[in-house]
Amino acid sequence: MKDKISALMDDEIELDGYEYLLSAAKSEGELNECWSTYHLIGDVMRGSPVLSIELKAKLMARLDDEPTVLAPQLKKVFYKKPALMSVAASVAAVMFVGWMVLHQQVGAGVNQPSVEIAQNIPSEYLLAHQSAAPGNAAYFIQPASFTESEK
Amino acid sequence: MARFLLACLLAIYFIPSNAAQDDPWLVLQKAAQAARELSYKGVFVYQAGGNVKAVQITHMNFGQGEYARMVVLDGSPREVLRQGNDVVIFNPKNEKVVIEKRTGQNMFPALLPSNLENIKLSYQVRTLGTERVAGRDGQIVLLEPKDKYRYAYKFWADKEYGLLLKAMSTNERNEVMEQITFSQLNLMETHDMDWFHPQVDHAKPYVMEQEATPVSAGDAMSLAQQSLAMDQLPLGYKNIDKVVRMVPGKQFPVMQLVYSDGLASVSLFIEPLAKGVPAKMGHSVMGPTNFFATVIDGHQVIAVGEVPEATVTQFAGAVSFKK
Repeated sequence: MKDKISALMDDEIELDGYEYLLSAAKSEGELNECWSTYHLIGDVMRGSPVLSIELKAKLMARLDDEPTVLAPQLKKVFYKKPALMSVAASVAAVMFVGWMVLHQQVGAGVNQPSVEIAQNIPSEYLLAHQSAAPGNAAYFIQPASFTESEK
Repeated sequence: MARFLLACLLAIYFIPSNAAQDDPWLVLQKAAQAARELSYKGVFVYQAGGNVKAVQITHMNFGQGEYARMVVLDGSPREVLRQGNDVVIFNPKNEKVVIEKRTGQNMFPALLPSNLENIKLSYQVRTLGTERVAGRDGQIVLLEPKDKYRYAYKFWADKEYGLLLKAMSTNERNEVMEQITFSQLNLMETHDMDWFHPQVDHAKPYVMEQEATPVSAGDAMSLAQQSLAMDQLPLGYKNIDKVVRMVPGKQFPVMQLVYSDGLASVSLFIEPLAKGVPAKMGHSVMGPTNFFATVIDGHQVIAVGEVPEATVTQFAGAVSFKK
């Protein structure tokens, strides 16, 4: 499994920033689970009804589809890097979430937001509205359930 | 060579087009596009109802799709990672950090939807000269509501890049409801992606939030949903989402209908009125948000939105149940 990840992130990709994730996962002997959690989260985030186990194949196919620029080396690096970076970043981002879930969610209860009364209307309504409304700036900046005393 | 190509690509945004300066809709269209297609880094300040929060934003798109990270700099260190339409929010709450997933949020400076057609139905537009914001010249565009059912919006679009520098909503008395403004903004040239990861607090557990579920046929709410009828909705508001939520401390699930006119949005919550629980009635307001609660045929109906009082009143009153 480790080999597959290495193959996916070929040597043009800098792993420095994310190495601690991989090493942490490895040391727990849970790299396999981490990998499948990553698949699962990726599928859910894309809204795909099928929990695909062929994601890696699709990723590789997409990499193959990236245009190869037939030009001097300098140009090639300029074009190719963002595409590969994109794969590396997406893998790292979802792997991070997967890793967190794997390590932390076992036995963890559902978090219930604290209640703050806004003139008779419980803050759950405002929070639910903020989270569902497109373009709601307040949602992550100043959510309804948020109070500094929660810290 | 690479630099030359980059310059050519950026020139598409940089060349100030006369047409864009003349047509305010084109200015807004360009703003919507620039926020998604440019790579930039900066700090913006959000203000509403006495709250002030600074947010650091890094947004990158060199043709490989959108990557963004936003970190709230004041108070609790919430942060958002965004890849394309997928949004992951890391929200510290008590002793935990809750991970929330969202899709398709229009976050500042990408506040305007890519398609402005819906907005054109409900607002009229005009330009108001220029003003300096975050050291840049901003073209001011005013969106005035055609009726009393939404706030007015004012946008400052960078004259060079098109990007929104500032956005403000005002109510019918011309009081500022919400304001977001860049205090610092730079275009990014580096393709380095080492910034695209959350700041991890190793001392806290990370948990996934409980999600709202879509309305299903076997659900307790399906009956109410089938007999639910809406009339007399303010023009331009379209139903964009329908979910059922379990609210802590509630016996029955709550149905949530979300409406948007492209900028303003309203949520309508409908739930069976539980015995022994006093019904909520009447209007209340909190910062830019108006609430209106009423009871219709044994159901508690609550409308919530960053819209005028008239709008939430109209929405809550529009609910009826076919017998």
